[in-house]
Amino acid sequence: MSGHSKAVSKEELWGGGQSPFSISYGKMMMWYFLVSDALTFGGLLTAYGVIRHGLSEPWPVGEQVFEALPFLHGSFPLIYVALMTFILIVSSVTMVLAVEAGHRMDKKGVVKWLGLTVLGGLFFLSSQAWEWSHFIHGSGGGFQIDQAMTINATDDKNQTLAMDLTAGSWVHFPAELGHAYEHYQDHIEQEGAKGGKIDLDPTTGKLTIMVPAHDHDHGHAHDHGHSHDAHADHADHSGHDAHADHAEKMDTLFNGDLELIVNKYVLVHENDQDYRKMHVKGPEAAKLFNNMMKGSTAFGANMSKNEYGPQQYANFFFFITGFHGFHVLQGVIINIVVWLMAIRGVFERRGHYEMVEKIGLFWHFVDLVWVFVFTFFYLI
Amino acid sequence: MEHTEHLEHTETPSDMKSQIWKTFWILLGFTVVDIFLYFVLLSTHAMWKNWVFIILGIIKAYYIVGVFMHMKFERKTLMYTIIIPMLFVIFFVALMLIEGDFTNLLRWIK
Repeated sequence: MSGHSKAVSKEELWGGGQSPFSISYGKMMMWYFLVSDALTFGGLLTAYGVIRHGLSEPWPVGEQVFEALPFLHGSFPLIYVALMTFILIVSSVTMVLAVEAGHRMDKKGVVKWLGLTVLGGLFFLSSQAWEWSHFIHGSGGGFQIDQAMTINATDDKNQTLAMDLTAGSWVHFPAELGHAYEHYQDHIEQEGAKGGKIDLDPTTGKLTIMVPAHDHDHGHAHDHGHSHDAHADHADHSGHDAHADHAEKMDTLFNGDLELIVNKYVLVHENDQDYRKMHVKGPEAAKLFNNMMKGSTAFGANMSKNEYGPQQYANFFFFITGFHGFHVLQGVIINIVVWLMAIRGVFERRGHYEMVEKIGLFWHFVDLVWVFVFTFFYLI
Repeated sequence: MEHTEHLEHTETPSDMKSQIWKTFWILLGFTVVDIFLYFVLLSTHAMWKNWVFIILGIIKAYYIVGVFMHMKFERKTLMYTIIIPMLFVIFFVALMLIEGDFTNLLRWIK
């Protein structure tokens, strides 16, 4: 911080004895660590790109998949992701203000801004946890159809269009019907054909889904591996034995008009027309329902199955946002350590706040990676 | 002076604070533009649309790396050792996207 620079001849500069980059060893190695980390993320994004370009199925569209907000109902496409991006940018600013305070040896400033950076990081992490949870649970689930067919569907402008669906196209349930069907399917898997009953009138599209009422008493065997089964939660476990003799009684899980959604997560562009989020009702929906590919249903997402479309979509979502989130977690932990060191006056005794600069470089890199994850995963 | 280098020109500029806030507003502005354009271009199905978002991302990256990570004020030699490997990454991504298109073509032929 002397304000004037020292002139050195070129031979002397690269001849050893001083840093030709005019940067401390620690900061330089942090930069090269970030270069290697960028190569890792570059590899992930490359894999994502090559797989996405290589698939013939349509790839899910960001705003149709990510359109929920915590505590609110309704459709808010991409708003939550935009908020997360905003939080990360703000935490980058607070971090760079901490670095700037460190240059002035302003301990109070460093503690304040670094503390706010930690808060921003925690906010981002909890947002990501919520988004993962929402992604994993899904919103109703869906199935693939067995054979190609043409179907009349209504779009959000109430326009009815004939759609050509290829074999393997995804069809989705509205949330309530989806939960009922998921529960029914669990029963069938556990108990075979007597585990449930479906009545579908193909001329009106009236649908009834029933499962045996005695089910809740079978207890443990059924609970395994179905921890997110919403229906099981409302079972009144206190009355087990009293119900044991009502074996033939049926619980109605769903009774109403069948309605299905086509192109819920994808946008198909044909004949100058965008086909997305098309609703199918009545007999047309019954045709789709009866064309269900065996074993193709998916509810939410995991590493082997997901309702959004190609399996690689969910896998890349988990891996790329997960790897980024892991970086944020590391950043938050190191930030907390450096914050405590600043409070205890370690850097003041040391005479400089270079540690804040180094962790700052890492933190900005994490923000930078998010800029590209946001661009390639959500926007494009 | 032609054969000499100034060792200590990596100092923080005196108006760093105002530069930081200026950069913040720029980044915020570009993020809002990103989202806005996304919805404006929703029913556009052309290749240039992707380039719009990629270029906006690169502009944001420039400000984060340049100002927040202080790269603008570091020595050029350091900058090149970091930027040049990243150019190879971009080259690799471009190659692999072309490869992906060929995979898709082969699926279609089958």
